[in-house]
Amino acid sequence: MKANLQEALRNASADYAEIRWEVLERSRVAFQRDQLLALEHSREAGGVVRALVEGAWGMAVFTDPDQIPTKLAEAAELARAAARKVRNPIRLAEVQPVEDKFIPQLAQDFREIPLEEKRKLAERYNQVILNYSPQIVSSTVRYTDTLRHVYYANSEGTYLQQLIPDVTVLLLAVARKNGDIQQAFESIGEAAGYEVALDLEERAEAAARRAVELLSAKQVKGGKYTVILDQELAGVFIHEAFGHICEADFLLKNEPMRKVMQLGRRFGVEQLNVVEDGYIPGRRGNAPYDDEGVPRRKVYLIKDGVLTGLMHSRATAAATGMGPTGNARAVSWEHEPIVRMRNTYIEPGEASFEELLKGIDYGVYAKGAFGGQTEFEQFTFSAQYAYEIRGGEVGDMLRDVVLTGNVFDTLRNIERLGKDFQLKGGAGGCGKGGQSPLPVTDGAPHVRIRDVVIGGK
Amino acid sequence: MRILERAAGVAQAAELYQELREGVEVSFRGGEIERVGAREVLGRALRVIVDGKLGFASTAGEEEEALVEAALASARYGDPAPFSFPELRCDDAAQVLDGEVLKIPPEELISWGEEAVRAIREEFPDVIVDAHLWRGKITVRLSNTSGGELSEARSSLSMGVEAQWIREGDIYLVWVSRTVRRREDLDPQVLIAEVLRYLRWGERVVPAPQGRPPVLLVPKGTLVLLLPLMVGFSGMSVALGTSPLKGKIGEQVFDPRFTLVDDGHLPFAPGSRSFDDEGVPTGRLPLAEGGVVKNFFYDLRAAALAKAEPTGSGIRGGFFRGSGFRSPPSPGLRNTVIQPGEGTLDGLIAGMKEGLIVADVLGLGQGNIQSGAFSNNVSTGFAVKDGRVIGRVKNTMIAGNSYEVLKDGLREIGGEPEWVYGLAHVPALLVEGVSVVTR
Repeated sequence: MKANLQEALRNASADYAEIRWEVLERSRVAFQRDQLLALEHSREAGGVVRALVEGAWGMAVFTDPDQIPTKLAEAAELARAAARKVRNPIRLAEVQPVEDKFIPQLAQDFREIPLEEKRKLAERYNQVILNYSPQIVSSTVRYTDTLRHVYYANSEGTYLQQLIPDVTVLLLAVARKNGDIQQAFESIGEAAGYEVALDLEERAEAAARRAVELLSAKQVKGGKYTVILDQELAGVFIHEAFGHICEADFLLKNEPMRKVMQLGRRFGVEQLNVVEDGYIPGRRGNAPYDDEGVPRRKVYLIKDGVLTGLMHSRATAAATGMGPTGNARAVSWEHEPIVRMRNTYIEPGEASFEELLKGIDYGVYAKGAFGGQTEFEQFTFSAQYAYEIRGGEVGDMLRDVVLTGNVFDTLRNIERLGKDFQLKGGAGGCGKGGQSPLPVTDGAPHVRIRDVVIGGK
Repeated sequence: MRILERAAGVAQAAELYQELREGVEVSFRGGEIERVGAREVLGRALRVIVDGKLGFASTAGEEEEALVEAALASARYGDPAPFSFPELRCDDAAQVLDGEVLKIPPEELISWGEEAVRAIREEFPDVIVDAHLWRGKITVRLSNTSGGELSEARSSLSMGVEAQWIREGDIYLVWVSRTVRRREDLDPQVLIAEVLRYLRWGERVVPAPQGRPPVLLVPKGTLVLLLPLMVGFSGMSVALGTSPLKGKIGEQVFDPRFTLVDDGHLPFAPGSRSFDDEGVPTGRLPLAEGGVVKNFFYDLRAAALAKAEPTGSGIRGGFFRGSGFRSPPSPGLRNTVIQPGEGTLDGLIAGMKEGLIVADVLGLGQGNIQSGAFSNNVSTGFAVKDGRVIGRVKNTMIAGNSYEVLKDGLREIGGEPEWVYGLAHVPALLVEGVSVVTR
């Protein structure tokens, strides 16, 4: 492989060129109620080449490995077509060429587990959900494992081989009472072996129990509240609302936004620290090297409430005069690397959960993330479920809690941080620029925020 | 056809699906060309039935033998196939290929992007413009052991323009896109005009009307109501008992003016195809007529479970058709059409004393859409007073229940339908019964 890729690169007529060839092995088992909707162990392979010519990118995506030299030529040709129109040429930040191999050790290699066993595992979880109560009318249980084998070479002499494992389990329950339908789910996602998918029966039951409980939960009343987010939801908040605007690609040719995102600007309380880290053992957001062959760097996005860093590709690093951070990631061989998050988290503070509750007359304790989306300063994300906070105590269950707001105001409105930190990689992933789902990890302690808008009747 | 033959040697039935995606894409960032890319991706999926049990495997760029082995291995541990593969024939081809699209050179796509940048910045010099353009085709080939073979090449052309208007303390984003199959159906000027209209409407930020004002959903905003229905009308939701529409065929569930059709045969429509991804011919499928529930949409599996006929709605790649060959077929929509009413957008606005226009939202599909509930942040929305757009709203949430709104809250249906995400052809809808909360 190495000789082939390097030979093709030697003959490329571009200022810079790179080849990424990937072989993927994946298994997937999916049940919906009693239906086995997917049972698969497949392999696929494909590649992407990029060429930089006079400051413009050309790219080609393909599935035939014999075509690598042809595709490199095509990418260079397309780059030339674009280059004629370029006013501000793209430059790449300097990176030391490297030859390396990253092969993680899996406690229990999922490739050695027969598909039948994976099916039985998913089926067992599915039964736990379906048997929980007559009010459970449906379920979705999905197990996936993926081993992404990446071969990467560029014209500067970097050659990398990485094995990236990913295991996810989704346990979703749907409950129904008359016309009312509610759902709840639990999920895991880890860069690990089969072992992390085992022994999740209690999580399956928790999902079923919650779906049933939600049938009699109170509908939240729309309005402005002091809110406590649990670790998962706070993690999704920092990823969705803040993380995305720290991805430097959207600041690249965007002068006004660059002014908003000035390093040194205060974004939150003194206690607020936000980290973006490329490697934490076992976490699915890991990118030991990114898809431009750049080694990882841990970045403080916010330190002591002040903006101190951004996430970069080589191009954004060069344009802003900062160092590359290893955040150029591609979801697969079908895509180019773009600036993405890895493991993103709010560092813990010092408050106990009781201390966070103290003084909240009427508020909302929002738990679990259902989904989230952001558009620069505006964000929205939905809690799986929530509880009233009355007189400083957790009260009745609430449903349909969707939070929305302006990220800058919301960061300023963070009042306190808990000490109970948790990192979580779910069964989904992050979407950006048509690339989804990218494995990421989010994390946070419990976080108390004032003046959060919750939609509702 | 070696793959199918090999599989058929062991399996009692087999089906091979192949898709070849080819095309050129162009990206602009910050008003400038950034990248031109080409794509040539061959994906394949094999389904087999062995001893009555269904197996599935997919691959890209891999050995044929591996695909056959993987599908057979899947069948070994699989469940009984509730359906058999249909005989592949297609007597009524849909119009889905425009050769003109495939002739568009990268330079021309670049020039469309440049024109968008020029036109928008001429009026709004501070606005940052990103653009994405694509032209290409997908060639689908399907064969199975029930006999016959189908193949079809479908062209596609798309343009998306994003305008970011960033001022101190305020960021406004407009995103407009079109996906078509025929070159003459994409007019960059129309798209640019829509971006400009939203920018003009959004120059000033005003408070949103509160409580339960009339809400005018303009095309992308309509998906707020449509998405729960897309789930509710799915034959799989019906077969699994999670659809609130289950058992309601023939019942008046919506306003009598509400007619919803999923049509796989509309000439050159973005979701049109002669046959679905399992080889079942597509056609015009009324879902609701005059507010009465008429049909659900089924793939082979959901049809078998619900003891209904497949409707040519077996689509691979999930709900938004993203992952293609990798996903087994599931019930999906081709072109979802809300029958338009009368009246122009300007006319609808002129008739509103006070209200909210919702042009786009964040968090589509979040929340409990099975029950019809929606709750979204209005990312592009405008306040109307005395028949005039007075400005843009911020930090505003809308919430309600799609089934309730479309039954009792439908005030007017517009007469100028537009394509949304290459999925739905929808007019503006003026509705009541949506709660609006703002900070």
